[in-house]
Amino acid sequence: MAHKEMTMSSIPIVRRWPLWRGGFAVLLFGMLAACSSTPEANRSDLRDPYENTNRKIFAFNMGVDSYVLKPVADGYRSNVPDAGRRAIDNHLDWAGLPSTALNSTIQGDLENAALATIHFAINGLTLGFDDLTENPGAVEKRDFGQTLARANVPEGDYLMVPLLGAHSGRNLAGRVVDSLTNPLSFFQAGNVGSTMRTAQIPARAVAFRANNFDTINDIKYNSIDSYARTRSLYYQMRAGALRDRQNNDQAPSATDDQFDAFFDEPAK
Amino acid sequence: MICHEKLTSKQLFAFALSFKSARIFLASVMLIWLGSQTSFAGNSQIDDANKLVTQMMVDVESILAQDINDDLARRENVSALFDRYFDLPTIAKFSAGPYWRAADADQKTAYETAIRDVIIGTVVRNFDQLSGLKFTATDSQAKGTQLVLVNGTFTDNKQQQPPIVVGWRVITADNASPRILDVEIENISMLVTQKQENIAIIRKNEGKFSALIDAMNQRSQSNN
Repeated sequence: MAHKEMTMSSIPIVRRWPLWRGGFAVLLFGMLAACSSTPEANRSDLRDPYENTNRKIFAFNMGVDSYVLKPVADGYRSNVPDAGRRAIDNHLDWAGLPSTALNSTIQGDLENAALATIHFAINGLTLGFDDLTENPGAVEKRDFGQTLARANVPEGDYLMVPLLGAHSGRNLAGRVVDSLTNPLSFFQAGNVGSTMRTAQIPARAVAFRANNFDTINDIKYNSIDSYARTRSLYYQMRAGALRDRQNNDQAPSATDDQFDAFFDEPAK
Repeated sequence: MICHEKLTSKQLFAFALSFKSARIFLASVMLIWLGSQTSFAGNSQIDDANKLVTQMMVDVESILAQDINDDLARRENVSALFDRYFDLPTIAKFSAGPYWRAADADQKTAYETAIRDVIIGTVVRNFDQLSGLKFTATDSQAKGTQLVLVNGTFTDNKQQQPPIVVGWRVITADNASPRILDVEIENISMLVTQKQENIAIIRKNEGKFSALIDAMNQRSQSNN
């Protein structure tokens, strides 16, 4: 009888979500592995061996953006007051704090881990919607992709993931791990917490689109090759995040290397 | 005689020693002097770069104060700003990547015109976003012998948006007035982004530099 009651809906959501999400990631990897890679000579960037497939997925994502995300984000910008939008941004940041605490600990940055834990505990009183700390910018966001980079895990190929956008193989794996640390994952299915957890995914997408509305529109409509531009921006953003982790602003960046190489070559 | 010879050897040895010491001393002085010269040159380059960025921001604020949302006037103002403060030849050369070397003189000229139009068009489209922001320089650092990175933040006067970290990469070559080469916004270089996009377009078109120029011209025309 007890065994009979153990249906899918009774399995704690904390167990079902990871399996579902892990399976999704494996499926994506499988799909991409099944795609024939583009010969090096035909690639517009050597880090992008699945460029032909990636471009198709990018076109699909842009379609979703045009018909769903952009109109929703536009409405969100127009109708939700600044204070409400800030509260949602705060909540989404708050939900990422356990991941930051965990990854900071693994990376050896105990100060950031402690800050993330304190901010999570204090702001937890409002489920993160209101920032009760004096310095909300004190915590540096950390993710498992950075942790893997620190462990010298290779970056992997560039992947354009349906609905999720640009990722490197390493960062996509990191994202799966980060999703396990969401504080609302510990609520069972049917709870308010579980519903909020599910709503976070589209809310994050809408908030991101709304916060970068003009910039994304400019990339989408005014670039000569918006796919190539997105790829460049993605790699620079990740390089910047890894550099922040090193906590050394004076260290040469990947951009510095490009300029050094340019000025070192003979003039013509 | 022997004594004299010995004395001479000692004198010679002392002379050689003093000469060697003098050389070491002189070399040390030269090194210190050269080091200080390099350091001073670096400081003056940094000062020049800071002045250039500060002056440009004064000009930007002045344009914003007079801005009446007229695209034509805005384009004229931004064009003048670009020609005054930015290093177009180096921007063109950098953003074309390895394909610059293979391009002929006509293509290089056409490309300079095209990239100028693309950059000015981008700035004009996004000029509104600078409104209500105040730039504050935070620090500057030499990047090699020719470049200085002037760092700063754009802060929202109404304090509704978080500060935006910006870096201006300024060329400060000898005997030439400093010019801006690149803008980095939150660790993202605008010039590196443009270069990688350009290289992607050329590679997709079997290495034809002319394809990039055509694509840029088409984009500029459709945006105007």
